[in-house]
Amino acid sequence: MSARPRALAGVLPFARRELRSAFESPVAYVAIGLFVLVLPALFFFLGYPVGRTPLPGLWEGGQASLIVLFHWLPLLLALVVPALSMGAWAEERRAGTEELLLTYPVRTGAVVLGKFLATWTLTMLMVGLAVLSAAVTVGYLGDLDWNTVLAGLVGAAWLCAGYASVALFLSAVSSEQLVAFLLGALALGLLWALPLLVRVLPGGAAGALEAASPTTHFLGSAARGVLDLSDLVYFVLLTALGLVANTLAVERRRWR
Amino acid sequence: MIVAEGLSKSFGPVHAVRGVSFSVARGELVGFLGPNGAGKSTTMKMLTGSLLPDGGRASIAGEPLDGRSLGARAAVGYLPEHTPLYREMRVRPYLEFIGEVHGMGGRARRDALERVIASCDLDGYVGRRIHTLSKGYRQRVGLAQALFTDPDVLVLDEPTSGLDPAEIVRIRDLVVELARSKTILLSTHVLPEVEEVCRRVLIIAGGRLVADGPLHELAEDSADAIVLAVDAGGAPADDVAATLAACDGARAARGTFDGARVRVHVTLEEGADRYALADALARAVHGAGWPLQELRHEVPTLERVFLERTRRMAAGEEEAS
Repeated sequence: MSARPRALAGVLPFARRELRSAFESPVAYVAIGLFVLVLPALFFFLGYPVGRTPLPGLWEGGQASLIVLFHWLPLLLALVVPALSMGAWAEERRAGTEELLLTYPVRTGAVVLGKFLATWTLTMLMVGLAVLSAAVTVGYLGDLDWNTVLAGLVGAAWLCAGYASVALFLSAVSSEQLVAFLLGALALGLLWALPLLVRVLPGGAAGALEAASPTTHFLGSAARGVLDLSDLVYFVLLTALGLVANTLAVERRRWR
Repeated sequence: MIVAEGLSKSFGPVHAVRGVSFSVARGELVGFLGPNGAGKSTTMKMLTGSLLPDGGRASIAGEPLDGRSLGARAAVGYLPEHTPLYREMRVRPYLEFIGEVHGMGGRARRDALERVIASCDLDGYVGRRIHTLSKGYRQRVGLAQALFTDPDVLVLDEPTSGLDPAEIVRIRDLVVELARSKTILLSTHVLPEVEEVCRRVLIIAGGRLVADGPLHELAEDSADAIVLAVDAGGAPADDVAATLAACDGARAARGTFDGARVRVHVTLEEGADRYALADALARAVHGAGWPLQELRHEVPTLERVFLERTRRMAAGEEEAS
């Protein structure tokens, strides 16, 4: 007697397994703890000294706004998301469990989606805790616009989805976790840095590069409290591209 | 239940599997043998869907194993070599995860969990993390995941590799028990294990299938020696051997005196009829006036069959190149 396969049967089991595994080790707790401490600390004390217009920290600026905190998200997540996702596929390959995984009666896309959901959930948990802890403090000190905070969180969810799909794809093409982390951090770091190249490139190319960066699509609107459909389309496309590439990379293993 | 037709797989310039065809019927337990690098594991991967062939095709329980082979993959339980498991997980959640991945509902999962815990003797270990278990118990967890959906077909790659003798017997007994209701393809390096539990064997060497049949038939085909014991009345063993080596169909003979009789081991020429040689040897002994005390065909062990078939394959490859 055998169970009948269902096309999306693997999504939730794999998402749950990835989340459970993340919390089985201290790594997830340490990463979340550090993020929740470091991001508000940068926001309160350092400000955002990158780019054409450096922004002061909360104490120095004295504005009841999370805009500085949101500015840090694209850069910090370019390091944190690869760290959280590096083992998703690279460790499966190292441990040999990928061979067994490929024999399960589930679509590869469902497994990819499951792992993506887990990474996205974990990242959003981290971002949500950091943002809310800072927001509660700022709200206590001044008149915080909670609608802007909510819009920023929604935009952060889009940003995290795009980052997670890119980092997971790079884990799928890496044989070791460290390689996956370095490739992920490099790729997301480059995407983050694209707007910085605007100053050294001619107008048309600069505009295209700026439009290709997730930083622009997050900081230009959602981080300022505006949810723009074109940003949503950009992040949906980026996420879909990463997920499709991830599925093809894993499916290719059957032909290796 | 398992059908392989002309399966081929290459990794770059290396032809790992070359045109392998066989079938395993419902309820058969078939041993799959071959030296290291012969193509066993690659064939098993193609039969479980983790690898797609470059040529040929395979099916499990009538369902084709192609890129979209969910039906075939649902029908087979697989224990890969080295038993890869999510070692950070505890045994119960791991097995429940296997059930979820196979689309089993809550009640079915609980029933399956109880069944595999009992059959794999895992009671008392379900709360342990997998990495804290001994190799034998990890192997049991590997078997439990392969059995979780009660599949009709099992593909087991080296299930007793690296285990202590007591664990080997335990796993072997379990495989024999499972063979009463399931189709099993069993790969192992432990030849006595195959002799003990399998009636049919497949031997693969250099990526090609070099033997396929019931064990006793392969042994018969490989029987290439006749052993005699004679009372030579004081004649030297070498003289007795020389007399018998002169018979038609004999390639060589080696004699030893054991204190009471001369024992002679006579090997056959390639293509000689062993029954005709036995008759010629009996006549020669009778003609020399030596009472014949024993005459038997030497039944080769599986090890000998295995070595001979793989040697022939290697010799053929050398000639071809």
